Amino acid sequence: MNNESRGSLVEILLVEDNPGDIRLTEEAMKEGKMRNNLSVARDGVEAMAFLRREGEYADAPRPDVILLDLNLPKKDGRSVLAEIKADPTLRRIPVVILTSSKAEEDILNSYDLHANCYVTKPGDLEQFIEVVKSVEDFWVQIVKLPQE
Amino acid sequence: MSEPVGAGDGLGAQVKTYLFGLFVLVLLFCLYVLQSSAHSRKLRSQLLETREDLISTTVSKSYVENILRSMAETLMVIDPDGTIQRVNQAATNMLGYERVELVGRPVGDVLADGVGVLSLLKRSGLNDVLRSIDTSVVTKDGRHVAVSLSGSVMRDDDGGIQGMVCVAQDITERKRAQEMLEQRTHELARSNDELEQFAWVASHDLQEPLRMVASYTQLLSRRYKGKLDSDADEFIEFAVDGAARMRRLINDLLEFSRVGTHGKDFETTDCEAIYERTLVDLGGLVEDSGALVTHDRLPTVMGDGTQLGQLFQNLIVNAIKFRRDDEQLTIHVGVERQDGNWVIGVRDNGIGIDPQYAERIFIVFQRLHGKGHRAGTGIGLAICKKIVERHGGRIWVESLPGEGSTFYFTLPVNEENSSHE
Repeated sequence: MNNESRGSLVEILLVEDNPGDIRLTEEAMKEGKMRNNLSVARDGVEAMAFLRREGEYADAPRPDVILLDLNLPKKDGRSVLAEIKADPTLRRIPVVILTSSKAEEDILNSYDLHANCYVTKPGDLEQFIEVVKSVEDFWVQIVKLPQE
Repeated sequence: MSEPVGAGDGLGAQVKTYLFGLFVLVLLFCLYVLQSSAHSRKLRSQLLETREDLISTTVSKSYVENILRSMAETLMVIDPDGTIQRVNQAATNMLGYERVELVGRPVGDVLADGVGVLSLLKRSGLNDVLRSIDTSVVTKDGRHVAVSLSGSVMRDDDGGIQGMVCVAQDITERKRAQEMLEQRTHELARSNDELEQFAWVASHDLQEPLRMVASYTQLLSRRYKGKLDSDADEFIEFAVDGAARMRRLINDLLEFSRVGTHGKDFETTDCEAIYERTLVDLGGLVEDSGALVTHDRLPTVMGDGTQLGQLFQNLIVNAIKFRRDDEQLTIHVGVERQDGNWVIGVRDNGIGIDPQYAERIFIVFQRLHGKGHRAGTGIGLAICKKIVERHGGRIWVESLPGEGSTFYFTLPVNEENSSHE
């Protein structure tokens, strides 16, 4: 119960370049009546700067969970994933790959890079709301993670 | 009187002797003439015989020559040591040598791979006959001409090899046609692959924008239904419905093109196990339909298990979808072996199909029924057809309206593992 023990909102970092998807995620959270603090990084470089609190992200919160798209500009999701999992200070943050790719190689590759789970974006809004809700519930409420 | 008598006697004796001598001479002459005429007749007949022999030899020689000359095929007679002994006109034409240049030359000079008669014989399996080996000959100016080479060994009375007669036929045209056919086939396969790839990429890439359209129209509907006017509600519903239908179509198209682009390599596959698993997967659907499902022991084949499972699934779902409302659905999966094929039939007692549509139902997005509980995109049977064809079989339906349908498909018998009870 990390968020409760910290007494603050769940911190989620969404790494996603498609404005439609960003908004959809926000709206899905609204529709699902989820209370959280959603930050957005629009490419891989921005995501790493946010996580490492570099430059303008000096005060960035440490996310409780990262929703990561695979196809991103500048630095793609696979590299971001690899860097997070290679960084001792970041590797414990659960990373949920949230992508439209159903390719077997993307799935395998993501798990090889130690993604915590791989979710394909559903085409249906109801299902999408369900997915976002489940991800948050599972990784933030249900799973027992170490205190940082 | 005795003297004249005596003289007369003496003269008569002389005349007698003379006449006798003459007679003997005439006789001798006659004998001679007779004898010499017989001799000359004999001589003459001997002479005639010789002449006839000569004529017949000359005639048969030119006869053979004529045959050889008229042959379109190149002919060469070769010594046991591989030297060209004799050639026909076609040989000199094809090879570009004069006859005198060819005779006495090793046959290896004009055969592209330099093989001698003995190795040719070896290729013939020492059967004394060499049948239609595809090779090529080298012309005087170094060109290679594709030929089909046949030959037969000539043996003497003791069975010793005297040589070999080789006949070569120019197959350049045939080769070219064959190569062109191969090239066309290759191009066709490639364009087919490209088309499949295109269908896959197109349907795959369409998913993204479609997801946006579908999700946002759904969001509109969720949030603004009943808050705008009735027109807006209706428009939104049409948009939501259209997007949902498009998503089903694109998913089906993806699945359809996946059969060709994402199929797995064939391996020994037990259809019985695949079928059982499919039934388990379909559990709820089969149960809800109240169907009585039976089957014969299914064979082991070479195939893609996932796709064969999909095949069974689509056919059973099809039977459930087109069941009659007034009768319990029965489905039986039967097997029969016909020569090199397993013929598997999925028989139902459903509504049946008018034979005029028997072909159409296997075409992508062709449907016979409108909306309602038999609605669908019309991809299921097209996928079945594609799967069966990828496995080297064919699929068809035998049916009459109101009397149920049997969907048959064939799969080649796996000779290594054709055990089947």
